[in-house]
Amino acid sequence: MIEKLMNIDRRIIFILVALAVIIPSLLEVNFPITVSQPTRSTYDYIEALPPGSTIMVGFNYGPSSLAELHPMAKAVIYHCFQKKIRVIGMTLLAEAATLGDNMLKDVAAEAGAVYGQDYAYLGFRPGATQVLLGMGTAIDSVFEADYAGTSLAEIPLMADITNYEQVDLVLDLASGSSTEWWITYTNTRYNQQIAAGVTGVIVSQMYPYLQTKQLVGLMPGLLGAAEYEKLIGMPAKGTEGMSIQSFAHLLVVGLVILGNIAFFIQRRQGE
Amino acid sequence: MKGQRFSCPVLVVQGLVISLLVLGCGLNAFAQDATTTEDTRLFDTAKIWIFLAVILYSATVVYCIYHARSGKELFIRRIPGLEAVDEAIGRATEMGRSIMYILGLGGVSNVATIASMNILSQVAQKTADYETPLRVPCNDPIVMNVVQEMVKTAYLNEGRPDAYNEENIFFLTESQFAYAAGVDGMMVREQPAAVFLQGTFFAESLILAETGNSIGAIQIAGTDKEHQLPFFIAACDYTLIGEELFAASAYLSREPMLLGSLKGQDYGKVMIFGAIVIGVILELFGITWMTTFFQRVR
Amino acid sequence: MRRQVPLILCFAFGIVMALTEFSPHPFSQWLNEEIIDWALVIGPFALVLAVATLVQSHWTRIRRRSEYWQYSFLVFIGMASMVLIGIPGGQRHEAFVWLFRYVQVPMDATMFSLLAFFIASAAYRAFRARTLEATLLLAAALIVMIGNAPVGDLIWNTIMPFQDNLPSTARQWILDNPNLSARRGIILGISLGVISQSIRIILGIERSYLGGVEGD
Repeated sequence: MIEKLMNIDRRIIFILVALAVIIPSLLEVNFPITVSQPTRSTYDYIEALPPGSTIMVGFNYGPSSLAELHPMAKAVIYHCFQKKIRVIGMTLLAEAATLGDNMLKDVAAEAGAVYGQDYAYLGFRPGATQVLLGMGTAIDSVFEADYAGTSLAEIPLMADITNYEQVDLVLDLASGSSTEWWITYTNTRYNQQIAAGVTGVIVSQMYPYLQTKQLVGLMPGLLGAAEYEKLIGMPAKGTEGMSIQSFAHLLVVGLVILGNIAFFIQRRQGE
Repeated sequence: MKGQRFSCPVLVVQGLVISLLVLGCGLNAFAQDATTTEDTRLFDTAKIWIFLAVILYSATVVYCIYHARSGKELFIRRIPGLEAVDEAIGRATEMGRSIMYILGLGGVSNVATIASMNILSQVAQKTADYETPLRVPCNDPIVMNVVQEMVKTAYLNEGRPDAYNEENIFFLTESQFAYAAGVDGMMVREQPAAVFLQGTFFAESLILAETGNSIGAIQIAGTDKEHQLPFFIAACDYTLIGEELFAASAYLSREPMLLGSLKGQDYGKVMIFGAIVIGVILELFGITWMTTFFQRVR
Repeated sequence: MRRQVPLILCFAFGIVMALTEFSPHPFSQWLNEEIIDWALVIGPFALVLAVATLVQSHWTRIRRRSEYWQYSFLVFIGMASMVLIGIPGGQRHEAFVWLFRYVQVPMDATMFSLLAFFIASAAYRAFRARTLEATLLLAAALIVMIGNAPVGDLIWNTIMPFQDNLPSTARQWILDNPNLSARRGIILGISLGVISQSIRIILGIERSYLGGVEGD
C-alpha cells in the first residue's frame, strides 16, 4: 500500500489536477484577495501620474501565457484609460503582434478610449536590442508607422512623443527575458522607469531588480492580475482565476504532504 | 593546444590593430562632422567604476589563463553532473538506445548555447567512439548548422566519419512550445536512454524534463536561467547549477588554459565576497559610504 | 586562414563592442547600433535556412516512408496555410487572425498548461523531507504555495484570527529575503561565468563553437 502510494501513477495525479481546475471553474467561488506590496507599488505609481501622462506597454508574451497575462494587461490599461493616461502599445515578439492589437482594441472599446488620441499600437519590429536602443533616440526611427500602417506623424498622440523622455513609465508584460532587456537597455542607459507584470514561473527572477529599484513595481502572474483588479475595483478574469489557483495549490500541498507521510512510514518500516 | 597554427598573442595583436584602426578612422571622421549638441566625450566618466571592475576582473582571468600554461596542475572540485556524462553515454550504449541532446532556446550568440555546444562536442567524441546514435533537435537553424559541423568534426577527430549521420541533427521549429511538443513526441517514440538538457531554457524546461523522467532516461541538465533550476532539480538526475555550465568545457577537456580561466573566476568571486563581508561589517558599525558608493555605481 | 579570420573578427568585434559601451561619442554609438543592425541582417537568412531545412527533412521522411511519415504532411499543410494567408493578406487579415486565435492560441496554451500537471507530479515525487536542507526547502515551498493563493489567507484568518494574512506575508518575506539572497548568489556566479567564457571566446581559447574548424 505504502509502496503504491510512494510510486503513484502520474496519470492519477494528472486526473486530480484536472478536477481541481475544472470543478472550481464551474462553481462561482470567490476568495478575499490580499494585495502584495510589489503590485501596490505599480498601482501607486500609475495612480500618481497626472492625466495626459504616457505609458508604454510591451506585450511581450505569446499565446501560451495569454491566460495569465491578458487579465493583467486589461486591468492596467483600463486603469490608465480611466485616469486619462495615454497608452502606447508595442511588442518585441512577432507572435504577440496580433495579441496586443486585439487587447488594446477590446479595452479601448470598454473604456471609450479613442485610437490616436488615447492610445496607439506600434506592433512588432525585429531585433529587440536595436528596437529598445533605437527608441531612446527616436521612436519613429524604429517604428515609422503603427501596426495598421499609419505614419506616426499622422497620429495626434505621437505628436509630442519623440523618445523615452516623454514616456513616464514602461510596463513590460512578459513571459520571457524581455524585462531584463528593458532594464539593461532603457533603465540603465536612459533612466527610464519600468514596471513589470510577469508569469508566475519567472516572477522570483524579478525580485533582485525590485529591491534595487530598477523596477518600480511587479505583478506576479494571475495573482498580480487579481490584486490589480481589486485595486481598481473591477473584478474580472484574474479574480475568477483565483479560485482555480487556490484549489490547484491546495491539491499540490495535499499531495506533497501525502507523499511525505508515505515516505516517513516507509522509512520507519525500513528501520 | 593541439593543432594550433598561431598563438593567442598573435591573434590579440592582429585583433587589436584592426579594432584600433576602425575606431581611429571613425573617430577622426566623426570629429569633423560632430555638431555642438552631441556628446563628443570619448569616455563616459560616470561608468569609470564599472570599467575598472571589468578591466580588473578580465585581467585576473587572462593572467590565470596564461599562468596555467606552465602546466601546473590546478584543483577543480568534483561536479557530479559532469562526472555523470560518461555514465549516461555508457548506459545508452549498453542499452543500444540513442542519446538526445537538447541545446535549449538560445541563439548562436548566446553564451549559454556556446557553453552547451562545448559540452556537446565532448559528448559527440564519446558517442563516436561507442557508435551510440546522437540525436540533436535544434530550435535555431544557425545553431543547427554550427552543431552539424561541430559534431561532424568530432566524429572525424575520433576517426569515425562513417558513424556520423547528418539527419540526426535537425531543425524542428523556432516556436517555444511547438519545439517542446516536438521533442516530447520524439522522446516518447524513440525512448532515448540519456537526455542532455543544456543551454537556455524557459517555461518548457519542466515539460521536457518530466517527459524525459517518464521514459526513464538518465537526465543531465544545466542552464543559465536560474529560475528554471528548481524544475530541473526536481525532474532530472543531475543538474549543473549556475556557472557549472560554463565550467563544463574546462572540466571535461581538462585543458590547462580553460582550467586557468576557472581559477580567475574564483578570484572574482573572492573579490565580490570580500566586498560583501566588508560592506556588511561597515553597515553594522553605521558606516554607510560603501553601500552608498555601490548604490551610485551605474 | 580558415581558422584565423573568424578568430580575428571575433576578437576585434568583441573588443570594439565592449569599448563602445563606455563611450558616449557619436561614432561609438553609431558603431554600436550599426553592428547590432548587421546582426539583424542574419535574421532573414536564418529564416530561409529554417524553411529549407524543414522542407528538406520532412520531404525526405515522406520519400523514405520513415516512421510516422504521414505527420510530415501536416507540417506542410500548416506551413502553407499560414504563408498563403499571411503574405498576401498581412497579419490583420481576418483569416490570419482567425487561425491565430482559434488554432495557435489554444495549441500553445495547451502546451503551457501541461506545466500545471507536470509541476504536480514532479512536486509529489521530488519534495521529500529526506534531509534537514530538503525539509527547509519543503517548508518554504509549502508556505509560498499557500501564500500565493487567496485561500491560504482565508483558511488562516478563519482558524488563527490573531495574525491577519500571515501566509501571504510569510510568502512575501521568503521571496524578499532567502529567495533574493540565494538568487543573487547564483546570478553573481553565472555572470562571472559568462564574462569568463566570453573572454575565452574573444581570446580564441574556446573554439568548439566554430563548428567545422578543427577543435582543440
